[in-house]
Amino acid sequence: MALINKHLRWLLPLLAFIIWSLQAGYLFYYEGLGLNVALIDSSVNMGIISLAIWGMLLVVNAYPTRVGVTLYALLIGTFFAIAAGFTTWMILKFIFKNPVHHYLDWLSYSMPVRYFANWLICSWIATYSAIVKEAETIEKKFLKQNDLTNLHREAELYKLRQQLQPHFLYNSLNSISALTMIEPSKAQDMIGKLSDFLRRSVTRDGQERILLTEELEYIEAYLSIESVRFGDRLKIVYTKNFDSKTEIPPFILQPVMENAIKFGLYGNTGEVTISVDISQKDSMLIVNVTNPYDKDNHPSRGTGFGLEGIKRRLYLLFTRTDLLDVSKTDTEFTTTLSIPQTYA
Amino acid sequence: MHKVIIIDDEPLARQLVRAFMQQHTDFEIVAECGDGFEGFKAIQEHAPDLIFLDVQMPKLNGFEMLELLDEKPSVIFTTAFDEYAMKAFEANAVDYLLKPIAKERFDKAVTKWQASAASQQKRGIEQLQVGNVYEGYQHRIVVKDNGLIRIIPADDIEFVEANDDYIKIVTKDGSYLKKSTLSQVEQSLNPQHFVRVHRSYIIPISQLVRIEPYEKESHIALLQCGAKIPVSKSGMTKLKTTLGW
Repeated sequence: MALINKHLRWLLPLLAFIIWSLQAGYLFYYEGLGLNVALIDSSVNMGIISLAIWGMLLVVNAYPTRVGVTLYALLIGTFFAIAAGFTTWMILKFIFKNPVHHYLDWLSYSMPVRYFANWLICSWIATYSAIVKEAETIEKKFLKQNDLTNLHREAELYKLRQQLQPHFLYNSLNSISALTMIEPSKAQDMIGKLSDFLRRSVTRDGQERILLTEELEYIEAYLSIESVRFGDRLKIVYTKNFDSKTEIPPFILQPVMENAIKFGLYGNTGEVTISVDISQKDSMLIVNVTNPYDKDNHPSRGTGFGLEGIKRRLYLLFTRTDLLDVSKTDTEFTTTLSIPQTYA
Repeated sequence: MHKVIIIDDEPLARQLVRAFMQQHTDFEIVAECGDGFEGFKAIQEHAPDLIFLDVQMPKLNGFEMLELLDEKPSVIFTTAFDEYAMKAFEANAVDYLLKPIAKERFDKAVTKWQASAASQQKRGIEQLQVGNVYEGYQHRIVVKDNGLIRIIPADDIEFVEANDDYIKIVTKDGSYLKKSTLSQVEQSLNPQHFVRVHRSYIIPISQLVRIEPYEKESHIALLQCGAKIPVSKSGMTKLKTTLGW
């Protein structure tokens, strides 16, 4: 940190000059001292006090306090004020040893006022710089903390993304394995779909936001694989009502869909229709995903990672916990996702 | 001829097992099932020697289905989840095949079963308990009720009582007996929500209305359903820690 805070850098010399000229003027006009006496007196006074302030700032910046900022500044300010006053007195007495007796009497008489003025100036500057220094220390600490939180956040987001894939991948590979024996041409088709899906997952991994239309394509790729695995039991009905430039963070909508499929498809044996309703309301993108659901048949692991992970992700991205909502009737399960669009 | 049933919710996964089985000529696939419930019925009907069983399935999952069977066939698990493997072996499964399944690995599993079948005639899977099988806690308990399969969500449980070799699970719709022990149930349920307050009782915290002193060192818990459950001294300590007194 610079010795003098940048706000004080211009203020201090200016102040010194003002005080110096005021003092000189005062001594010359009101006290009726000679011009050279007035100039010498005020210059010495100003020189000493400047030295004192400089020394004081060194001390304030070099030594941390244990007694609390204000008390510390006050003590140091007082000490330097006394030192400065005493030095000024000694020097002036030495300079005007012989010539003007009248001046020396007046000097003694004015000392209390000088001490008091010094004390005011020193205490003020000491307090100010000590507080500024304290604030800077706190800010530094805070920034460091913030860095750590960010790092941690990144790591957590990464981990949440990673959790989405493996079982899906293994099951798909198993299906391909079956197809190579039963229907080789379909196997090739499936490999194409899976590669498409994986390529999309990889390319969007680093992105912070993606186009909603792109996300829907990605989901489509995912669904086409699921429909090979589960036959044509799966139907998705979309209601799309949004700006084509709408962007959303990746890995938010897809896991919600995955969850809906897990609930709907893995939990029921017949045909399953999942409806996706996307609309824009004020600065929010609202996505409603509804899937059939059997009240008596909670999926064994469904509620576990799926929605909790999404909730956590939304919190990490927007610092809000109210962006994911679920409601259920006896036959339907609805997930409502609100994605703030303010960053657009 | 050994009878085989394939239970998996993915048609392609079933077809893969079927295709792999073609080489093993002394096996006959008597049924293919898409969920645990169908599997349960098929096993009772055909009494197979060996089943290929997926874990995650609609209605009843693989472990729940096994739990309901009195006569358990030999089991080879087929799943993409490796986290069940340990528990599956503890439950004495013949083998545990991870998807995608390699032909070589599959043949090995079948040979392994043949070897054990030769020496043992039929190798039954041992008594299996939900609580010991899953990672994490159960959200439901499966019981047989007059030949019907009933799935009781953990939220519906009013209390569980030990009853000789059985446990009695009391819900607002009635009570069900299940061949199990209270310790096993205790392990399978989330201890944040269920507390074993007595040697013979487990109660859900959400049911608790109040606790009254009763004789020296013991208490009585009054539940929402009106039941009065004895609370032992150690049960009281557990309640206190769970409730954070």
